Amino acid sequence: MVLSGFEFHLVELGHFAAYLALAVALMQALAPVAARYFRRPELARIGINASIAVFVLTTIGGLAMIHAFVSDNFSVQYVASNSNSKLPLFYKVSALWGGHEGSLYLWAWVLTLYTVLVALHGRKHYPDRLPTILAVQGVLVVGFFGLILFLSNPFLRLFPMPADGRDLNPLLQDPGMVFHPPMLYLGYVGFSVPFAFAMAALITRWKSEYWIAHIRRWTLIAWGFLTTGIILGGWWAYYELGWGGYWAWDPVENASFMPWLVGTALVHSITVQERRRMLHAWNIFLVITAFSLSLLGTFLVRSGVLSSVHAFAVDPGRGAYILAFMTIVLTVSFGIFLARGRYQEAEEGMSSMLSRESMFVWNNVVFTTAAACVLLGTLYPLALETVSGDKITVGAPYFNAVMVPIFLAALLLMAVAPLVPWRKANPERLRSRLLIPVLLGLAAGVAMLVAAWPLHWTGPVAAALISFVTGTIITDYARAVRQRRVQLPGESLLRALMRTVLGNRRHYGGMIVHLGIIAIAIGLTGSGLFRLEKSVVMSPGEVVEVGSERLRFDGVRSFQRDNYFTLQGQFTLLDRNILVLPERRRYPVQEMPTTESGIHSTLWRDVYVVIAEPVGEGNQTKWGVHVYVNPLIQWIWGGGLIALFGLGVTLTSRRRTARDALAVPVTAS
Amino acid sequence: MNRTWLQRSACACGLLFSLMLPVWAEPVKEDPLDREVLEIAKDLRCTVCQNQPVAESNADLAKDMRQIIREQLVAGKSRAEIMDYFVARYGDYVLMKPPTARAGLLLWIIPPLLLISLALLSWVFLKQRSRSSPPPAAALSKQDQARVRAARQQQD
Repeated sequence: MVLSGFEFHLVELGHFAAYLALAVALMQALAPVAARYFRRPELARIGINASIAVFVLTTIGGLAMIHAFVSDNFSVQYVASNSNSKLPLFYKVSALWGGHEGSLYLWAWVLTLYTVLVALHGRKHYPDRLPTILAVQGVLVVGFFGLILFLSNPFLRLFPMPADGRDLNPLLQDPGMVFHPPMLYLGYVGFSVPFAFAMAALITRWKSEYWIAHIRRWTLIAWGFLTTGIILGGWWAYYELGWGGYWAWDPVENASFMPWLVGTALVHSITVQERRRMLHAWNIFLVITAFSLSLLGTFLVRSGVLSSVHAFAVDPGRGAYILAFMTIVLTVSFGIFLARGRYQEAEEGMSSMLSRESMFVWNNVVFTTAAACVLLGTLYPLALETVSGDKITVGAPYFNAVMVPIFLAALLLMAVAPLVPWRKANPERLRSRLLIPVLLGLAAGVAMLVAAWPLHWTGPVAAALISFVTGTIITDYARAVRQRRVQLPGESLLRALMRTVLGNRRHYGGMIVHLGIIAIAIGLTGSGLFRLEKSVVMSPGEVVEVGSERLRFDGVRSFQRDNYFTLQGQFTLLDRNILVLPERRRYPVQEMPTTESGIHSTLWRDVYVVIAEPVGEGNQTKWGVHVYVNPLIQWIWGGGLIALFGLGVTLTSRRRTARDALAVPVTAS
Repeated sequence: MNRTWLQRSACACGLLFSLMLPVWAEPVKEDPLDREVLEIAKDLRCTVCQNQPVAESNADLAKDMRQIIREQLVAGKSRAEIMDYFVARYGDYVLMKPPTARAGLLLWIIPPLLLISLALLSWVFLKQRSRSSPPPAAALSKQDQARVRAARQQQD
């Protein structure tokens, strides 16, 4: 492709825009300070326009980079090391976040997007506090642009210009990897919004009644994106890495999981503050922690302090910068929290130990413990090596042993808590409501024990809890529908079913999310405890049996695609006569072999085939073949979709939240 | 054209038979020794890899380690003996599951302690809160009252 001089240097426009964005963001951060110092309140409003400008400038930079990728402008160093003229267009665009520099740029880009959304939303709803919120966001933007422009600049040029690029890491040439980073970053960075709100609230002593409904919404949005990102990451690992699993408790996976756990605690405890005016300081603590863990995740992945498949960069300067930035943000934010955290003294008391609010407290105990344990397992090897020089590995067996009981505890709470009313529960009534679900759970546990004996203790316990939760959600819903039908006898059943959900979107949206989590739990239990695998050597025409699945090896063919050579094994799933086609690919530019698993999915199980290396030569060639039968794995992805749908239902309850936000101050006056 | 019903079904049977022939072939058996090697290799870390067990790695070292496991199994060594052999050479680093003694002790103690202490703290918090009567709500400032009034009007 021949580029005109203008197009060739277009990337410099983006480079300039990025520097300008840094300068404007600095202004945005200082606007309220200037307004106070010069005693001219109108100066604070600069922040709003500044945030729009920063977003526009960052977008210009990002588009210039994408243009450089699409037009194969290998004079840009980052393009040369992460793209290739033969790379499909789809991956050229996503190659922007295929490496270290571009990933950080995407981070900053998402941050400016959130900032501008807050600015536009806040102009109408919270104009007086908006400059402070934007200033906090501005500081974060400055911090990230500093890192990008001075230590990992994607706009740097390369002379002499190479004839072709070094290609995108073949592992990242997968649809899952195209969408995984943006979703994950929308989640990570999304927690910066509640963080900015909390900081602004502490600094300006903003009464929580005014902002709690807003940050609930922003937190839910961030949580939704983070959930999507994590599930897409698991999906990518399952399809692309070829070891039959989806989650390896890799430090990088843990880095995204910790903010998710704290975020989950937060979306629950925010409700307590909104409804009952409690846990105010604790919520601010969780907000700061969630965002700190997002920063920590970025630090762990980007500094190269952990070596894993995701950590492409090893550069001590960057690591030191991110560590310093993180330390400053943490110290300042927790410092402000300690100094001002209790500015809102008025908190209501607990009416009873058995109430919805106490249940939410237990939820928070479980989820913060979970997050702390993941943090411990992730950082312990680093700390140990620094302190004593000993090296140990904290691998998947450790996390499974520690986390599975915690998840089971979370399931137990999930079964009981939604039935417990606010303020004070009537133990008699609660007992009668729990009776059927408990029996259902016990039956499921015993059934599993009998049917699948011998098995790990977690199997029957998980089965019992899953049925228990499903039972409570369904009986609770059925009771509400029945009550509605008594009150409105003329209504059709279908309409009553719909109206019940739509009439209380927050509650039933949450319950749909819970059902999604239950589907995921079913998938995790099935694939975790009942996976079958066989590793065999086969020649064409032979059949392998795994469980009740029979698979015939038909042979291997090789051909060439755009930017790789592939060796495709052909297998026939007998009884169904369906082809399964695992591949071994070789990307000549990076000289890197990758495996593409061949998967046949049904609702009940996946047959997952990986073709390994050939054994022997000529006509006698045999192939190493790894076959897994993974039960119920599709439930994990399906559960993710259900959870997102539920989240959507919750988020549509606009009017209710607005009124809730006002309800408390009105009764107080 | 004039094929009889019998001829057709014979044809169909023949086709079916040829399709099903491989089904009746004896399926390939997994070498039990291979399985044993993999089961041990799952709990050992490939020391040059990035957080990958020996069983899943294609690195040369992992292949060598699988070969060593195989040789030792053939020589009649037990799983525990083979694990000890690798720990003696690579230290605890080679174990995917950190040891419950020595350097890994804290890892196993902290999570249950953490859960118990957090639960106790929350219990105390809840007890304390439920005993104290709700504090009087703070009076709203003039500014806030005006804001509430404005917001209410907006709602109507």
